[in-house]
Amino acid sequence: MRKLFMLVALLLVVAGVACTAAPTPAPTAAPPTKAPAAPAFRVGLVTDVGKIDDKSFNQSTWEGVQKASKEIPGVTEIKYIETTDPKDYDKNIAQFADAKYDVIVTVGFALTDATYAAAKKYPSTKFVGIDQFLSKDKDHPDWPLSNLVGVTFDEDKAGYLAGALAAQLSKTGTIGAVLGTDVVPPVWRFGEGYRAGAKAINPNINIVVVYHSDVGFDKTFTDPEWGKTTALSQIDKKADVVFGAGGKTGNGALLGAAEKKVFCIGVDTDQYLTVPEAKGCLVSSAMKLLTPSTFNMIKAAKDGAFKGGLYTGPVGLAPYHDLDAQVPAAVKTKIQELDKGLQDGTIKTNVAPAKP
Amino acid sequence: MAQSSESPFARRALNLVRLGFNELTVPVLAVVTALVVGGLVMLVAGGDPLLAYLGLWEGAFGDAKAISETFVWATPYIFAGLAVALAFKGGLFNIGAEGQLAMGAVVAAWIGYALPGVLKIELPAFIHIPLAVLGGAFAGGIWGAIPGWLKAKTGAHEVINTIMMNYIILLIASFLLNGPMKDPNPLNVIARTPSIAESARVPRLLPDLRVHWGFVFALGVVVLVWWLLYKTTVGFEIRTVGTNPNAGQYAGMNVAWITVLTMGLSGALAGLAGTIEVTALNYRHELSFSLGYGFDAITVALLGKTHPVGVALAAILMGAMRNGATRMQFLTQVPVDIVSVIQSLILLFVAADVIVRFLFRIRTPKQGDAMMTRGWS
Amino acid sequence: MSLPRFAFILLTVGAIIATAVVIGGAQLPAALILVSMIRTTLQVATPLTLGALSGVYCERAGVVNIAIEGMMLLSAFFGFVASIYTNQAIAGTEITPTSTALSLIVGVTVAILIGGLSGAFHAALSVTFRVNQIISGTVINILAIGLTGYLNRQLFFQGQVPHAPGVLPTIHIPVLADLPVFGKIFEQQLIAITAIVLVVLTHFVLFHTPWGLRTRAVGEHPRAADTVGINVFKMRYANTIIGGMIAGLAGAYFTLESVPSFEPLMTNGRGFISLAAMIFGGWTPFGAWAASLVFGAAQALQINAQGFGIPVPSQFVGMLPYILTMIALTGIVGKTSAPAADGIAYEKTGG
Repeated sequence: MRKLFMLVALLLVVAGVACTAAPTPAPTAAPPTKAPAAPAFRVGLVTDVGKIDDKSFNQSTWEGVQKASKEIPGVTEIKYIETTDPKDYDKNIAQFADAKYDVIVTVGFALTDATYAAAKKYPSTKFVGIDQFLSKDKDHPDWPLSNLVGVTFDEDKAGYLAGALAAQLSKTGTIGAVLGTDVVPPVWRFGEGYRAGAKAINPNINIVVVYHSDVGFDKTFTDPEWGKTTALSQIDKKADVVFGAGGKTGNGALLGAAEKKVFCIGVDTDQYLTVPEAKGCLVSSAMKLLTPSTFNMIKAAKDGAFKGGLYTGPVGLAPYHDLDAQVPAAVKTKIQELDKGLQDGTIKTNVAPAKP
Repeated sequence: MAQSSESPFARRALNLVRLGFNELTVPVLAVVTALVVGGLVMLVAGGDPLLAYLGLWEGAFGDAKAISETFVWATPYIFAGLAVALAFKGGLFNIGAEGQLAMGAVVAAWIGYALPGVLKIELPAFIHIPLAVLGGAFAGGIWGAIPGWLKAKTGAHEVINTIMMNYIILLIASFLLNGPMKDPNPLNVIARTPSIAESARVPRLLPDLRVHWGFVFALGVVVLVWWLLYKTTVGFEIRTVGTNPNAGQYAGMNVAWITVLTMGLSGALAGLAGTIEVTALNYRHELSFSLGYGFDAITVALLGKTHPVGVALAAILMGAMRNGATRMQFLTQVPVDIVSVIQSLILLFVAADVIVRFLFRIRTPKQGDAMMTRGWS
Repeated sequence: MSLPRFAFILLTVGAIIATAVVIGGAQLPAALILVSMIRTTLQVATPLTLGALSGVYCERAGVVNIAIEGMMLLSAFFGFVASIYTNQAIAGTEITPTSTALSLIVGVTVAILIGGLSGAFHAALSVTFRVNQIISGTVINILAIGLTGYLNRQLFFQGQVPHAPGVLPTIHIPVLADLPVFGKIFEQQLIAITAIVLVVLTHFVLFHTPWGLRTRAVGEHPRAADTVGINVFKMRYANTIIGGMIAGLAGAYFTLESVPSFEPLMTNGRGFISLAAMIFGGWTPFGAWAASLVFGAAQALQINAQGFGIPVPSQFVGMLPYILTMIALTGIVGKTSAPAADGIAYEKTGG
């Protein structure tokens, strides 16, 4: 009994020593690279409640940051923090800002307010908000800020082109789409753009659009099994083109299409490169070019050409790759026409920015 | 007289301290062992455990802001941990804290942003805040009492029913936040409610830090639950039914009623976890606000040995780990998942205290309360 | 399992499928919807059936297994890792028929072994150390999430990831698969077929063999079983390990049969649904299978209803199986009960 008491007492003493010892190096350890000799240029990235390796927007954006560190001379350090809870947004951004990082990239519309607040608090730091749309209103009275750029994409246009392509390639008159939750506006814009594009080609076409809205945020993009099951269900009902859009859930749909040997269309990046298993069916991808957009913003900041405000990133269809020969020339011409019309504004998708 | 250690008061105090140490031995050693094993995992899988733990420490307690954030994180853990612990005391396993806190959050948010408009009156803070907090607790209590009632009435096991009800409330909340309760601001694209009224917001403790009165309230509830369990007849009945329902039956207790009450109280505590997040921190309910407090609460309750004070300490530890994780990642880029690994190891070593007792050569105490040895029925 | 309960469950499946046929009837031929619904139902039910069978083995022997979710996730991860590295070892960056076959065999084997191992761990904690079984299961669940998430990041995020060798082949069941219209239902992948075989096998083992009798004795009345010379500990260990192995096969379904990739959290709560299905099905193999079909059919309906553009929020369709499970648990439709000693650690007296 006494021995036990001693043991615990000893343990507490040790713990106490450790506790008092630990914080002392903290102030000096806080800025880990305090070499003032070379002008360091550092970039930090804060994810939404999601992982950096999500094979979707977090990862694509991070690849833009990585590209910057490889290709822009002087970018000395890049790091990321994965948010585990929305209440940490401010804190995670502050980790980088307090350490005097030069550019902080925040990913996802949910960080809009936190990024805006941080940009006001740290005026000498440049902020890039991916998928974040801002305007001057009561929540953002000082918009625009010179050190914050909100990057958005017209996903509906990319979806529109995908829908138009699918409608032209379909022989059965039924096309499918498997998406993440429609609560996320970019996903909604992809899905509804797809619907609009297909209707524009063939008003009578049967379009089966299924969102994975029945589960929580942490699951909707990481459910390839559901994606595949849903794609197979659509293919059973004669769909012969499947659009898979929603992180790994969408990738599951591509794999389902590949297994049943029907056309599929990827999303976000050129998925010919990211989902090699689907090469045999992947006719194109509805791209939103996150990686180059992020890279360009960092480059602008490095070159002193950073301008605050809104920036609309490029979207479009990826090359046809292996299936080039199976896409008729007339279809290719039509897609080019539509792309041009969407870009100069003569064609409207009429898709609301978010699910009403 | 003052220096006499023979005085009954001093002896009692000493005994209490000694008892506290004894109770702490296994949990503390479990945490230490878990950290060591977690460090080994990091070493094997590529990572610097020392730098990682330094980051974890700095992020959790490094400065005033870090400590404030740790308390912010700990607050829902205290409530949810108490919820699970109270159910344990009553011999019930509440896996539904996650759903009950979502229920509390939804209702508290509604009272916070919509009630004044519905009633067409301005509510002063001293009415609006308690209304929102109690409303959320009540809603959580109902959501907890349903499986309690089903258990008492039909024998349906609360583990399965609370899991089912977690899924159900998740879907209901998803529907509400995307539909009737969605922030109508045309620029809003997020599945969230409008902001709650100023009058419903629990104030902060200090001007520049986020730690709020909800944390103090949580500590108050810790005392309240302790008092309820150990100083009242109801508490005695809950504990009796928990250890031996037959004994309770023979003693003339209404076992069915106690079961419903225990689950209701447990649900109300869990509901408070969600309520406080809404009224004191986020000022609105957002769909992705809780990603597992209800499940982490099981670890918190067991690490705290289901004693309210233990739960509070365990909750602070848990909050510290989750809060410190981002600093750790900032310094080392170690995946935050390591916190889950450590958490499961803590749970393992607390639950299977045989392992810890063997490792550190601690004698097994006399049979304590045989908590939770019953199965499905 | 009581007959009314079984009939109720199957009728529910039928009703859900019929609903889809009715609401989609205006847009598509009934036969097409019917076949599609049945196929989706079977596919969704595959991991659930296996998970539920895992629960049946464990709980019939008196060990509550809430860790099915964690076991699935661990097996899905390690099975997948084993398969891609086997493929790399055999064929480098190529994927040849031989390397695919071999690495899939290795992958499934590893998945089953990891499942068995986590079953042994669960048994060690709950049978030997007499840790509360629900807590022991929770340990495995949290550990699985943390470990697979952490290792997945460390192995696959940076650098070159070896190619996945593909998925298990689809089997055309002779004669049946050649039927007109409905033939498609009988084109199934390996694990899906194995799951149904295991349902029948488990029923036979549990109710028609000495092993099954001993298992049930240990789950119902361990003291009595002990006195007639049955080794309670051994039976509980063995059945929990078998249950773990079946959960491992369910894990293999995710990464080696459905899609050739692993994602953190990809089991997405299906282990808990399995548990519900097992209880819904009254701790019997056929009941568990039928209950898995209810969950499968509900998800199939959800996918289809959205596709047909039915304005019911998908959340409400998604809620259906959970509510049904709760109703079933109340015992309104045929009372069933858990094995009497389920969840109670056995202690030899005077030992």
